[in-house]
Amino acid sequence: MRHGFREPWIVVFWFLAPALAGLALFRLVPILIALVGGFTGTKLTGETIWVGLRNYERLLDDPSFWNSVRVTLLFNLVVNPLQILLALGLALLVFRPTPLVPFFRAAYMAPMTVSLSLTSILWAILLEPTMGPVNGLLRAMGLPPQPFWRGEDQALATLVGVASWKGVGYWMVFLLAGLLLVPKELHEAAMIDGAGAWQRFCYVTLPLMRRPLGFVLVADTAANFLLFAPVYLVTQGGPNGATALLMFEAYQAAFTYLDHGRALAVSTVILLVIGLLAFFELRLLRERGA
Amino acid sequence: MIPHACIRFGLAVMRYSALVFVATVLLLPIYWLVLASFRPAADIFATAGTVSVATFLPERLTFEHWREAWSGELPRAVANSLFVALTTVALGVTVNSLAGFAFAVFEFPGKRLLFVLVLATFMMPFESIVIPLYVLVRGLGLTDTYAALILPEVASGLVIFLFRQFFAAVPKELYEAARVDGASWLQIWWRLTLPLSGPTIATASLMLFVHQWDAFFWPLVAAPGPERIVVQVAIARNVTLEVANWGGLFASASTAILLALVPFLLLQRFYLHTIASAAER
Repeated sequence: MRHGFREPWIVVFWFLAPALAGLALFRLVPILIALVGGFTGTKLTGETIWVGLRNYERLLDDPSFWNSVRVTLLFNLVVNPLQILLALGLALLVFRPTPLVPFFRAAYMAPMTVSLSLTSILWAILLEPTMGPVNGLLRAMGLPPQPFWRGEDQALATLVGVASWKGVGYWMVFLLAGLLLVPKELHEAAMIDGAGAWQRFCYVTLPLMRRPLGFVLVADTAANFLLFAPVYLVTQGGPNGATALLMFEAYQAAFTYLDHGRALAVSTVILLVIGLLAFFELRLLRERGA
Repeated sequence: MIPHACIRFGLAVMRYSALVFVATVLLLPIYWLVLASFRPAADIFATAGTVSVATFLPERLTFEHWREAWSGELPRAVANSLFVALTTVALGVTVNSLAGFAFAVFEFPGKRLLFVLVLATFMMPFESIVIPLYVLVRGLGLTDTYAALILPEVASGLVIFLFRQFFAAVPKELYEAARVDGASWLQIWWRLTLPLSGPTIATASLMLFVHQWDAFFWPLVAAPGPERIVVQVAIARNVTLEVANWGGLFASASTAILLALVPFLLLQRFYLHTIASAAER
């Protein structure tokens, strides 16, 4: 960071205050509420009492909580690398500005205009086992229809696919921006040295893509970690807990069972996992020298 | 030996086939949805389970679903969402550009730490704090108000970052010259740097607008009443009804998508440029 102007603190304060107050009140205070509220419970009479570690003890003994943890981790281990790979593939595909490519660039960003809740509803209809057009298409091609959301083995994979349909075009933009910044001269020099296309990609492009790739990894994880709308609108965590992501578990505790202590305890666990994740992602980026 | 030109032609054919295939997978579902909103109710699923030409090229069209959707609660939800999104854009651009300006231009103790904290907020998914935020908003007596929908989304780490990157690239001499001319820092921010930062404002506006227009989880929790209902929640309510009104659902979903398309088409050309130049520094 270069040296800036030294001004009386009151000037700096007024520039920073509105935004930082917003972040403090609506990001920091909720974290504190989750941390403290996880140690409280609600009595039948409605008053809030201190219960110590009881919410956490009950969570750790609860198989449905552990199932949510497992599903959330499994989902993220698959969906984030997959989306980044697909987004990188798309970015490379639309990189060279040959005819019609601007149209394809815009077309790939189109699912950005469909909100996640609408994406969920749309794909609930498209993948409906009997009436849905996707199974209609499969039947027309002579393939057996699939249960998709309704199949215990397929529901999580369906969620991965639908989240990626919405996400890849969005992440492609960031990677395409990174690709456009790779200096042409480097590619030309490597070509003169006799490097093939694959070698140039591995030794010229990829090393220079660390920062955009790192950004997309962090932001994509943040977007996917707590997917809520598809679980709430389509699967309700089912079939048989196959899509019970942690966020849905917290929502159910708060608004179905009205157990705020438990909901805030789950929120605290979520925040801890996200904190750990952010910590490791930052270290990973720094080690690579980005 | 195969001539070089043949290989290049073959590669181009493969590339364009891939481009068309991906575009089909991404666009066809949206096309089908919008098309379904203009189809007589009987035709929607009759042509879906068994795929034929009629699945993609309709034989009969009707505006019935659109008329019906727009005579229900949809206009109110659209108005609420537009108000919430546009207010967030106005407040968000102001507040975040002020903070971005301070991080780019001023030197003050604790600057690095504060900036890292600001960046950390955008690594934190909003969903992760929805429930404690609900506890806070309920405690402040703000449930079912516009304030509950707008205020938590105004300050944004990512938007502060975008503005900081842009303002830091403005030559320092420009600021010095303006100071010599007797301009206050507020005047410099308002009259000098904001007019220069059109593409960044466009990108930030698009991000804030789309975020609010798409919002589902937070409005579902913070403003469940009929007075402050937003578009996404209103549409989702249609689905959870016992007997779903499919035509009405498709018409209101198409409305939400088409209204999001307007700012997207207007502003998307700035988007790639701003993100590229923010990443450069």
